[in-house]
Amino acid sequence: MKEYNIVITGVGGQGVLTAANILGWAALRAGYKVRMGEVHGMSQRFGSVVSYVRFGEEVYGSMVPEGKGDVILAFEPVEALRYINYLKEGGMVVVNTKPIVPVQVSMGKARYPTLEEIRRIVEEDFKAKWIGFNAEELAIKAGHVVTTNTVLIGALTQIPEFPLDAEHVRDVIRLSVPPQAVEMNMKAFDLGVQAAKEILGL
Amino acid sequence: MAKVTDIVLWDKPGERVLLLGNQAIARGALEANIAVFAAYPGTPSSELTDTMAAVAKKAGVYMEYSTNEKVAFETALAAAWSGLRAMTAMKHVGLNVAADTFMSAVGMGVEGGFVIMVADDPSMWSSQNEQDTRVYGKFANVPVLEPADPHEAKEMTKYAFELSEKFKHFVILRTTTRSSHARGDVILGELPEEIKTGKRKFGNFKKDPTRFVDIPAHARKFHPIVLEKIEKIREELNNCPFNRIEGKEDAKVGIIAPGLSYAYVKEALAWLGVEDVKILKLGTPFPVPYGLLEKFFDGLEKVLIVEELEPVVEEQVKVWAYDKGIRIPIHGKDLVPRVYEMTTRRAVKAIAKFLGVNTPINFEELDAKYKKALEIVPPRPPTLCPACPHRNTFYAIKKATHSKAIYPSDIGCYTLGVLPPLNTVDTTVAMGASIGIAHGLDVALNGVPGEGERKTGKEKKVIVATIGDSTFFHTGLPALANATYNRSNVLIVVLDNQVTAMTGDQPNPSTGQTPHGEGRRIPIEDVAKAMGADFVAVVDPYDLKATYETIKKALEVEGVSVVVSRQPCALYRVSQMRRKGEKWPIYYVDEEKCTGCKVCINAYGCPAIYWDEEKKQARVEPTMCWGCGGCAQICPFGAFKPVEGGEE
Repeated sequence: MKEYNIVITGVGGQGVLTAANILGWAALRAGYKVRMGEVHGMSQRFGSVVSYVRFGEEVYGSMVPEGKGDVILAFEPVEALRYINYLKEGGMVVVNTKPIVPVQVSMGKARYPTLEEIRRIVEEDFKAKWIGFNAEELAIKAGHVVTTNTVLIGALTQIPEFPLDAEHVRDVIRLSVPPQAVEMNMKAFDLGVQAAKEILGL
Repeated sequence: MAKVTDIVLWDKPGERVLLLGNQAIARGALEANIAVFAAYPGTPSSELTDTMAAVAKKAGVYMEYSTNEKVAFETALAAAWSGLRAMTAMKHVGLNVAADTFMSAVGMGVEGGFVIMVADDPSMWSSQNEQDTRVYGKFANVPVLEPADPHEAKEMTKYAFELSEKFKHFVILRTTTRSSHARGDVILGELPEEIKTGKRKFGNFKKDPTRFVDIPAHARKFHPIVLEKIEKIREELNNCPFNRIEGKEDAKVGIIAPGLSYAYVKEALAWLGVEDVKILKLGTPFPVPYGLLEKFFDGLEKVLIVEELEPVVEEQVKVWAYDKGIRIPIHGKDLVPRVYEMTTRRAVKAIAKFLGVNTPINFEELDAKYKKALEIVPPRPPTLCPACPHRNTFYAIKKATHSKAIYPSDIGCYTLGVLPPLNTVDTTVAMGASIGIAHGLDVALNGVPGEGERKTGKEKKVIVATIGDSTFFHTGLPALANATYNRSNVLIVVLDNQVTAMTGDQPNPSTGQTPHGEGRRIPIEDVAKAMGADFVAVVDPYDLKATYETIKKALEVEGVSVVVSRQPCALYRVSQMRRKGEKWPIYYVDEEKCTGCKVCINAYGCPAIYWDEEKKQARVEPTMCWGCGGCAQICPFGAFKPVEGGEE
């Protein structure tokens, strides 16, 4: 495989960097060359965040070029749209449909779009496949809201042409999380896998 | 997965690991047998500093979080004078702070390898400007190395120490956000015995006033020495392993790709499907080695230089070509933007135009679709965290001054106080500038202290400066001395969260801890008293009423007032509590009591509070509440209450 490009988006504090790191290690352990890009510092403070995970035989820069992303893994619905320019035509959007309302919206200075509006742009304008579900709900079911990123990674492993084996990614998560959190994360992973399978009709 | 701090000390040569650019540099420094590391944290350089802090004790390396970049520079420099390998790290603007020592000491040279790691931030992801450190290299005649990927960053670090030692000269290792914060596969090398066993290294300082005392009689020799060194280094860099010619040897067109731009050029060429091109990969943007240029230009009919920010390489190449009588077209900033960071898209567009070929995708079409998509996307700028003590302090300042004062502020998380609804930051310039600006405004708007014409009472403009604890120790101290000495009339509120929060909760004199154990904690109120402030008080911003009343009192004082608003960084506190399994109170909105007045949203602005459009009431997102209780204090109707028992 020449290259595979994942764009992970969300809100600072949601675990975007952790998810990126897990996918990066999984790709490294699968023998690929890996490049990841992230922004630290001020942008992390509950603002919109983005991370890039790229792997394959030939990867160079740490950022996914615009129009070259295979998949957007969005921890929050509008954050999927904010970085939709990175997606290639016919790419995938795996999205947690639970919104985090920005302060500007609460103040009445901006409007939060409906899920349908977001989905329409993704599907119609960007010809992308929408795989949306409430990952936070599943994370809470698994044991804690902090496993939302694990749920989403689980779902990601099920999309067509995803180059990493689900069992392999699951192993990396098992090795990455603290011992007392392993069971909860494995459950979260499986719930994500199941959710994606249902949506994809697998 | 193993902890990164463990991986950085792994004695497993040949092992392939995933490291951040900054961590790879730390590993490189360890493989180079570094003895002393001193730095003040600054994004995007901080992870190098933090990695060194985490491994220092084990590796027998002295590491300190210095109070500012200049002091850090001097600490490391003295070690290098003593024959030890030493390093300092900073963000680009940090070099401005260290520049006085940097520019004057460069002629003195070093004995042990001395590497100055400077991380630039093109596009200003976390900075106040996007100055290009390569220009400093040219200014000071110091070589600048810039890696293209994390593995190269590690290798280059080792090379930088060797180069520095060989020529007894400073070396700048320049990164950008995209190389410092790029993660990639890195192959570990050998660690020296001393690092593996944690054996402390000791230096030897040989007195030589003609070298280390820069009185004019001595300093006059420095400039010629430096010029001679840099030309010798230029020669040496023809054989630098990070400079090479690749691609098609007999191509008619050539592209010069310095530093990280090499990665974008390679990717752009692959995406464009262009192979008939010669590439000069340049790991040393300053000085550009002429021998290699001569080989590269051989047979070329036109050249493009793809570089980020300033035309540093372009100018060197053009001057060289002119002197050589070479008259082929040399493109650079005419095709590559001079502002903001390089991207593959930018490289693709420049190369496509240079070669007269089409871009692989229609970017204009993509832009049009994207613009339409963004129309429904609400903004989500970074905000102060839930339970951030700064929010409470700003809220109290605003109330006490009826939003009518002028609010000079400083560099830190609290700069976010500029955003609505707080709006309590009117100026931010550079580290420590708040106090100097506040004092200058007082003189400009209110007149000379002590003079009859000075404005008083309602005529007087109230000036309230805010500055963080770390910034206060960084460059606030001389400004405070200046304000009290010159009888200023300003209120300085020190936002003392007892860590350097924005860069990752590093310790500072207000924390007291050092990477080697117990340091000395310096209470800011003691400093303020010693410096002659007319009013000094300490408050807990989680107690909003007390904070408000103290600020009111401070504002009545003629002279310099210092209020230390002390409460640990919430992010730091919560991460510590999580680690220990402790819980904190979670607040909720009593639907019987909330009238929908929106004070909590429109004046206070905690990100955990949101508006329920259906019920027309405020709500707390429980997963985001960190339990400061500020909402319960500002709500006029007592609608915010802690959940019984409290919960994480």
